[in-house]
Amino acid sequence: MRPKHAIHPYLLLAPTIAILALFFIYPLFVAMDDSLYRWDLLTEPRYAGLSNYRELAASGALSGVIGRTLGFAVVVVSGSCSLGLGLALLLNRPGRIYGAVRGAVFSAYVVSWVAVALLWMWILDADSGVVTRVFRALHIPTARWLADPDTALWAIAFVTIWKITGYAMVVFLAGLQSIPRSLHEAAALDGAGRLARFRFITWPTLRPTTAFVATTSLIMSFQAFDVVRVMTQGGPVKSTTLFVYAIYEEVFVTFRVGRASALVVVFFGILIVLTLLNLWALSISRRQRKVAA
Amino acid sequence: MKRRALLGGSLGAVGALGAGALGAGALGAVGLAGCGSDRGPALWFSYGGKNREALLALVERHNRERPEAAIHAVFQGDYFELLAKLRTAIHAGAPPALTHVVGEVLPYLAAADVLEPLEPLVDEASRGGFIPALSQSGAFDAPASTPTYGIPFNRSTPIAYLNRQILEELGASSPKTWDELRALAAKASRGAAGDKRYGFACPIDWWMWVAMVGQAGGELLEGDTFTLGGDAGLRALQLWKDMAAAGHMMLPAGRDYNAWTVTNTEFLAGRVAMIWSSTAFVRYLEENAKFPVVAAPLPKDARFAVPTGGTFFVAPKGAPPEHRVATASFLEFMSRADTSNEFATKTGYIPATKAGIAELEHAGFYASHPNDRVAVEQLDAVQRWPWHRNLFRIQREIVQSRLESAVLGGADARASLDDARRAAREEL
Repeated sequence: MRPKHAIHPYLLLAPTIAILALFFIYPLFVAMDDSLYRWDLLTEPRYAGLSNYRELAASGALSGVIGRTLGFAVVVVSGSCSLGLGLALLLNRPGRIYGAVRGAVFSAYVVSWVAVALLWMWILDADSGVVTRVFRALHIPTARWLADPDTALWAIAFVTIWKITGYAMVVFLAGLQSIPRSLHEAAALDGAGRLARFRFITWPTLRPTTAFVATTSLIMSFQAFDVVRVMTQGGPVKSTTLFVYAIYEEVFVTFRVGRASALVVVFFGILIVLTLLNLWALSISRRQRKVAA
Repeated sequence: MKRRALLGGSLGAVGALGAGALGAGALGAVGLAGCGSDRGPALWFSYGGKNREALLALVERHNRERPEAAIHAVFQGDYFELLAKLRTAIHAGAPPALTHVVGEVLPYLAAADVLEPLEPLVDEASRGGFIPALSQSGAFDAPASTPTYGIPFNRSTPIAYLNRQILEELGASSPKTWDELRALAAKASRGAAGDKRYGFACPIDWWMWVAMVGQAGGELLEGDTFTLGGDAGLRALQLWKDMAAAGHMMLPAGRDYNAWTVTNTEFLAGRVAMIWSSTAFVRYLEENAKFPVVAAPLPKDARFAVPTGGTFFVAPKGAPPEHRVATASFLEFMSRADTSNEFATKTGYIPATKAGIAELEHAGFYASHPNDRVAVEQLDAVQRWPWHRNLFRIQREIVQSRLESAVLGGADARASLDDARRAAREEL
């Protein structure tokens, strides 16, 4: 369907843009302004220029939280995408059992983060958790998953992957089901095996879906808060202090609204850069496909 | 194509905005806090479990006795969650009539001029009736002219709890010195990973470390400088590190109250022979342990010393003036020996009034509850907190994270404390 006038799509988007401007863009400008002050909400704000940014950079807090969040995002995005794709390939067939398994995998995604976090705290309990018991029974060395700075972030990443893989699977399933069956049949007639069909038909056709899943998983991993708040409170030794949790800590624990706002601004900047990179990668791939065609 | 790219870009940016604004949204939420003044004067509290039941029973009793000054209690999460909400409510101009805050934050809130002096609300007789070590004037090293901002309520000190069965099995008694603590922790530890029993556990928490700094003969603040105990601070931190490295001390998972919960749970499960926790947990541990629980004073190094903990009632400025009647009434009610005792005996917090302790002694309560007596007797060793507006920041922002880093993260103890002192200097 073509719009009668070029302005029509934008008019339709206007209410959404208005809401975004009021509840998202305006608070971001407020945060930008607050980031230039020292303020604890109780006393008068004092203008501090860029010192909040300088202090965050000099103390290593900024690089620490950026590194941790990016590492977490890489693990979560790659884990949820590959597992989601694998499950979608396995379960993309008719039948009640497959339907039930698809439903079971997706169900984790609709459960609240707090419930998921509490469940996994119990499963990962260092002494009586299911994982610990299984490891012990198999004589595999176990660990204090949530108490050890070396394992805590991995544990949080694992729980996040477990939670969002169902979502990735459903999107990949939709992508798989939109691939014309005739393409696979023609390739099979030409002697292409399963692997070749995946490589030359499924994977290229799923690229936009993969980009979408990767982008949304990236955003979800950057938004991680509840799971950290419930499971580790950013510890031990700040090993699970991800970006949003760091912002929360600055404003609600250490009373530094200016520094929290500076983190918000940096966080926003990083996400914009990542989004632009993603769009750029998409446009390159689109151009390549056009050239190939 | 251009339009599509623009629309696509907009959608991508919306995603980024959504995530980016999460933090800004957290800041924006600041303005949403309120005291619910439609229901009249509010008391914000942060107790859970038995403490909550005991407080709510007292609020109900107060409201029954004085309906004209009724106050309604509103649960606001743990101490630090309550503090965050209180701050936002003060900023939003909608604070509760009354609440309670951890002791260390009292100088900060007083310096920010957001608390009402309580002299006009609580008479001199009531103020003088509190146990000195638990009242503001005795718990803090403040100038004599400092107004009373906090009325003691659920006050506590760190204390040791021991599993009597294990003590008897080892033929040991509670440790009186750090050397005895080390020896008992080593003796009581046994087994290997997976089925290990630890001799000792305590939350890697500033409060415990401050107790040890005092025991090692140090002070947090000397003159205008946060020395953090100097060598005493180092000795305290090193003791934890050494015991953990030897496998005699369990390091509880989680931060803040999660670590406290884990410590108690491990003790109750028999996986730890001795813990340091709060006097506030005496009733909980006694009632839930499958073995006899023995309370003991914390051991000494150079001397016996414990800081006080728990909270003070405070009246934030900015509450509607008509709520002052209820605030004054409830403070007076809670300053009475009988109400203070009711809360203390139900929970394990130390009774706040001198008359209350005398009453309990007379009634034979301490004869039948020897663990409660330990908490009261340990008050002789209370070390005052410095009355400094930065005390809370030093705790939450500067020291706590470095203690975790040294004990849980393996950082060098001396370097961690040197770094903490540097950060404290910069903060000043």
